[in-house]
Amino acid sequence: MRLPTVEDIERRIPRPEDFESRARGTQLTARVGVALGVAFGICFLTGLWSHAQYDPPGWLPIGPQPTQLYRITQGLHVISGIAAIPLLLVKLWSAFPRFFIRPPHGPRALVVEALERASIGALVGSSIFMLASGLLNIAQWYPWDFSFRATHNAVAWVAIGSLLVHIAVKLPVIREALGAPINGPEDDPTAVEPGSEPEDESPGENESVTRRTVMLGAFASSGLAVLLTAGQTVPFLRKISVFAVRDGEGPQDLPVNRTAKAAGAAEAAADPAFVLELIVNGTTLTLDRDQLAALPQQTHELPIACVEGWSRSASWTGVSVRDLIEMAGGEPRSDVVVRSLQTKGAFGTSVLPAAFIDDPRTMLALELNGETLSLDHGYPCRIIAPNRPGVLQTKWVRQLEVKS
Amino acid sequence: MKAARALLVVAGVGFGLWGVWLMRDFTSERLVSAGIWLGGGIVVHDAVLAPLTIAIVVVVARLLPRYARAPMAIAFLVWSTLTVVFIPVLSGQGGKPDNDTILNRPYLASWLVLTAVLFAVALVVALQRRSRTATPAATAED
Repeated sequence: MRLPTVEDIERRIPRPEDFESRARGTQLTARVGVALGVAFGICFLTGLWSHAQYDPPGWLPIGPQPTQLYRITQGLHVISGIAAIPLLLVKLWSAFPRFFIRPPHGPRALVVEALERASIGALVGSSIFMLASGLLNIAQWYPWDFSFRATHNAVAWVAIGSLLVHIAVKLPVIREALGAPINGPEDDPTAVEPGSEPEDESPGENESVTRRTVMLGAFASSGLAVLLTAGQTVPFLRKISVFAVRDGEGPQDLPVNRTAKAAGAAEAAADPAFVLELIVNGTTLTLDRDQLAALPQQTHELPIACVEGWSRSASWTGVSVRDLIEMAGGEPRSDVVVRSLQTKGAFGTSVLPAAFIDDPRTMLALELNGETLSLDHGYPCRIIAPNRPGVLQTKWVRQLEVKS
Repeated sequence: MKAARALLVVAGVGFGLWGVWLMRDFTSERLVSAGIWLGGGIVVHDAVLAPLTIAIVVVVARLLPRYARAPMAIAFLVWSTLTVVFIPVLSGQGGKPDNDTILNRPYLASWLVLTAVLFAVALVVALQRRSRTATPAATAED
């Protein structure tokens, strides 16, 4: 017995021609790719928008209107990301034989091939990274050591960049493939003898599965994935979305993202000696919860919309932040720094830009859906404002400081 | 078209470099972890998921009669890709023990129902296809 030579091994590695299924082909790859590109585009733009909402750049006028905007953009972000997963898997499947193309001869061709492989590697690696990390994030599962938000943002640019390069490289192929009918003449069902059962079929061969079949399957799967999860943000799908991370239920009819215990706020928030500090021009005004409740109250229907893609509207009752600031002698056209009792996790401090203060619906809420705020929803008081990412709707507020 | 392609390449390379630039302050620990996830995705797909899919298709295509192949292929496509989408909720990982408003549905039961429904529908369609192809052949023999 002799050891296998390099040639022996090479002969055993499949070649692109070995993948016989006629269900593959550029006509399929291009069509699924277009749908995937649209999904990635929506993900990228809504993702950028979400980052802008977290850290508003000065030149971008992000305010309380439209009330439901962040709910829609972030819901769309997660929905299009989920829709992309079956499409990406089918697209990778359809292009998989190309993985086995042998390196060309000649140094120049080798360099070109290496560059194209590198761009494909960047595209595939970053695409899988984006969808996997996003999918795990919505279930609050973090089996990694990187910071989710910063890395998801950085890799998004790599994904979109390598996608643009990929489109540029493949543009002639894409145009030709989209111009051709998805099924070739060999797939015409009338050309196949009905009921024939050839005995000498090679294993990979499968005439009855056409490219159109696979494409429809990919779109069906993508649509089903959306239907079965989107109820966490689309109210009328709540009952259908049996695979949604949240069913929309919770104490006081609203889900909780982080409990008082997990935020390290439970003890301080339950303390009857709690007072809210209102700092304006260096002087501090304190109000206990009864005093807050004695101020004029208002009620508004506003959504909580989380970066994880779930959202739900609720009825909030409390004191307008603008009224509080005016009462303390502050200027309503200033940013307000909000500090929480929470001791664990990020976002214990948030900034309410002046544009939100100007909207009377921006309030320090004391009640939720007609009941006193529960501890996990931010008792004794929390911020609720229109069109804000949920994590900036600070809970267990201990201090409001008007910036001069 | 040449100009459009050149523009796409320039924009694409620029975007990619911007993404790398955004990682300039990452600690080495974070970079290594991100690198593992970037490369790991490719390895898991190309070395595990893709060969496994192809092996299943080859074996099942050999076993299944022809009328059953298209419906079963679609059922398998939908089932396998949806299962990947539902890995996080099926895993039981994620969420917090003190928060029962997250991951609070019977996901495993739903997944079993989904699996049963998908393959049952595929079976019904396959049987219909068999009777449709068998009928003209039977009348031809009469």
